[in-house]
Amino acid sequence: MSDSSTSPPKQDPSLQPLLRSILLEIAIYVPVVAAYYWLILRYASDKFTSLYQDSLARYAIAAILAIVIQGVLLEMLTSWLLRRFGLRH
Amino acid sequence: MFFPLSQVFANPFALTVIGFIVGILGGFFGVGGGFLAGPLLFWTGVPMNFVVGTDLAHMTGKSIVATRRHRALGNVDLRLGLLMIVGTIPGIEIGAQLIEIVDKTGHVDYIVGYTYVVILTVIGLFTGWESIRTIRKKRTDRLPAKDVLDIEHIERRPRLFKIPPLISLPVSGVESISIWSIIFIGFFTGLLAGFLGVGGGFARLPMLVYIIGVPTHVAVGTDLFEIIISAGYGTITHSLKGNVDIMIALTMLLGAGIGAQIGAMGTRYFSGPVIRLLFSILPLIAAALVLLRLGF
Repeated sequence: MSDSSTSPPKQDPSLQPLLRSILLEIAIYVPVVAAYYWLILRYASDKFTSLYQDSLARYAIAAILAIVIQGVLLEMLTSWLLRRFGLRH
Repeated sequence: MFFPLSQVFANPFALTVIGFIVGILGGFFGVGGGFLAGPLLFWTGVPMNFVVGTDLAHMTGKSIVATRRHRALGNVDLRLGLLMIVGTIPGIEIGAQLIEIVDKTGHVDYIVGYTYVVILTVIGLFTGWESIRTIRKKRTDRLPAKDVLDIEHIERRPRLFKIPPLISLPVSGVESISIWSIIFIGFFTGLLAGFLGVGGGFARLPMLVYIIGVPTHVAVGTDLFEIIISAGYGTITHSLKGNVDIMIALTMLLGAGIGAQIGAMGTRYFSGPVIRLLFSILPLIAAALVLLRLGF
């Protein structure tokens, strides 16, 4: 009947830590998002536009790298902040 | 804000919120969420030719965030994910070729649309039916609160296929399974992804659970790992055709990053059958959206 011999991950019956994590993450993210819009996107926009017009192959490499790097950095940033604040994650 | 690549004015906060919503779904259910993000992107004014490629790009980043979180929770079976990729990539390519063939009939929208609706409806109804039965059975039989299935025969049958080489999947708790079964699932879901222009997570998650016998939590994490590769591959091919606005994708990823983490953490608070029951609603919503687009 069980679909595996391994147990699923431990489940926390209390939603409080999750809700605290969510609120904290949102609080951290709002200034990060605002800063990102003004600092990074405006600068990167010109670079990506010129790449897009010059060479789609180079643009494709830059695009996938940008997405991967931003994904990894976002995850690292929030995980580090949550660890620092001592919240379970 | 003006996005010069797709030549569109779009509200970056709206894009971030879209990413956030789709990110929660992705982190919780292990799906790309293209069925929802696509129409929402179109609604914000992104041209249709940029919608699919841009969505794939943001999906790649979001899946990286969610997979790392799921991996920390022990929910990613890397061996299973890597083997599925062997089937997924040719599946996507053949699916894309099929689209070219169907396109010549002049009814591509209807053929793809109705195929999509049928597959989504079957998956949604079956997953919903099975999970409701399982939840009821857990209550009446007082089964332990772990991941259980109500359809043992489907779960066990493929394990009888002993076509060598056989491998074990310790993370998923599968003792012995033919590599070909795993590659076939990768191929089939890749075919659907290529043919229907979607990520394929809505089909992969139930197949991993019901056919291979992977626990739901591990299926969610492994599916996300698979999406990194398949969506990343799609991002590159669409970028080469000039159909990706990376600035929009990066903006969406800001919201998706936090949403994916919240979704992934949320899986800790629900048992496998409840996740499957909630998941079963998604394909039905997607089928309704496609029917609406087809003029119903």
